[in-house]
Amino acid sequence: MILIVDALNRHKFPMVLDQMFRLRARVFAGRLGWDVTITDGREEDQFDALDPAYVIGLDESGNVVACVRALQTTGPHMLSDVFHAILDGEPPLRSATLWESTRFCVDTERLGRGRARGSVSHATSELMLGAVEYAMRSGISDVVTVIDPVMDRVLKRSGNAPYDYVGRTVQMGKVAALAGLLDCTEERAARIREVAGIKGEVFLTDEEALALPAIAAAAPRKSALETYCDEQIAEARNDKERTAALRLKAALSDRIRSHSKVGA
Amino acid sequence: MGDLFDRAGLIDLADLPDASQDFDVFLREIRDRFGVDHVAYAGMNPINRSVVGHVTYDQDWRAHYAARGFHNIDPTLHSARRSIAPVDWSRLERDLDFLAVFRDAHDFGISDQGVTIPVRGPYGDIGGLSLTRGGSAHEWRALCRENLHLWQSLAVHVHDLVISSDSFSSLLRGPSLSSREREILQWTAEGKSQQDIGDILAISHRTVEVHLRSARHKLYALTTAQAVGRAISMGLVYPG
Repeated sequence: MILIVDALNRHKFPMVLDQMFRLRARVFAGRLGWDVTITDGREEDQFDALDPAYVIGLDESGNVVACVRALQTTGPHMLSDVFHAILDGEPPLRSATLWESTRFCVDTERLGRGRARGSVSHATSELMLGAVEYAMRSGISDVVTVIDPVMDRVLKRSGNAPYDYVGRTVQMGKVAALAGLLDCTEERAARIREVAGIKGEVFLTDEEALALPAIAAAAPRKSALETYCDEQIAEARNDKERTAALRLKAALSDRIRSHSKVGA
Repeated sequence: MGDLFDRAGLIDLADLPDASQDFDVFLREIRDRFGVDHVAYAGMNPINRSVVGHVTYDQDWRAHYAARGFHNIDPTLHSARRSIAPVDWSRLERDLDFLAVFRDAHDFGISDQGVTIPVRGPYGDIGGLSLTRGGSAHEWRALCRENLHLWQSLAVHVHDLVISSDSFSSLLRGPSLSSREREILQWTAEGKSQQDIGDILAISHRTVEVHLRSARHKLYALTTAQAVGRAISMGLVYPG
């Protein structure tokens, strides 16, 4: 299943993001040998500080098994600021309806072989589908994706082949990198679904994700006081009651915080 | 997409002389064209840290909004802009800030059903275009589904023009067309269709479209014809 995490909901999913950055460290620094910076076992770069959106694949328990990062091409992004060698010194594409996707990876240790749910192949296809459908829902028509030749082959055999490439393939340290173009259309989504046999909705709501066992277990334990406050907020029947309940929680915030620290 | 402008039936903002007043006219046109209640743009120039706003709200709500300092807490400005995707306001947390703004908004007849389209520019400039419309949630969702890609382009268009209306920023933001973009504009100026250009350059017509869209963005143009005109006037492309 796919969860979208961005600046608006990341405070709800600290454990998911932590797992994601650790997965990226294992894949990009470990397996692929890219020249990336690892801090405390996590791979994070300057673009993670720019409030990107993450499309994250979760297994049934809520563990991260795949992820990819999306940025707008109108703002700073990797092709404009890091991978410009691919563009041969040419200015990058910039468009309101074009996103850039980078750091696509899948957990080959946690996942099994074959094509069924729980396999590397299924998680890969599900993440591709999630990325295409998320972009479509956001009014985006195309994605430019920075990949290596291995990923390019994976895209092709997943029914998700780039319709074209921009710039050229360049050697980046030990690996080659290139930029493919993907249209965000029903046709592409249908092809990915067809190849992987995926039916139905792939997205989880925040609430559904929070209820998954691994994510629920990692949630900070609430004090009785905080639980009471949250119940009051949830049970408010109108905006006036809700405002009062929120004010109560805000007024007690110091006690809630110090209490939960002791509890942890 | 090429005829976004004609389909949207909007005036060409970039051709109008008096920018700040014309932004308001432009937003009113967007409002009427899409049948929403209100349209608002807010953006921040990172160089001089100035905040620019243009809205279709009436004077009473604007005065009340400013008097209560809602621009400091309005989640449709502050939270929504940190997303990369359009943020339907149903996604915003119903916290104290949200309730403070929208309880008053309600009294002024303004709905909490809306969407903010965040915009990021290359120099750390950020902005957002908001559209709001009361009434049936079903109709609202259908309206969004149908028009979101147009709103995306309009949001970036408004943002680019507002930010570049500051002279120092416009200096920074001169168009940097790639040779592919120039080449495609040149063939367009010669009267070739996207399909023809794709054949000539041995690339797909979709790739031609992506480059054209990027060129339009860099030239602050909503149509390809405008982009060609501007590229010619800047000497980037020869007249066909």
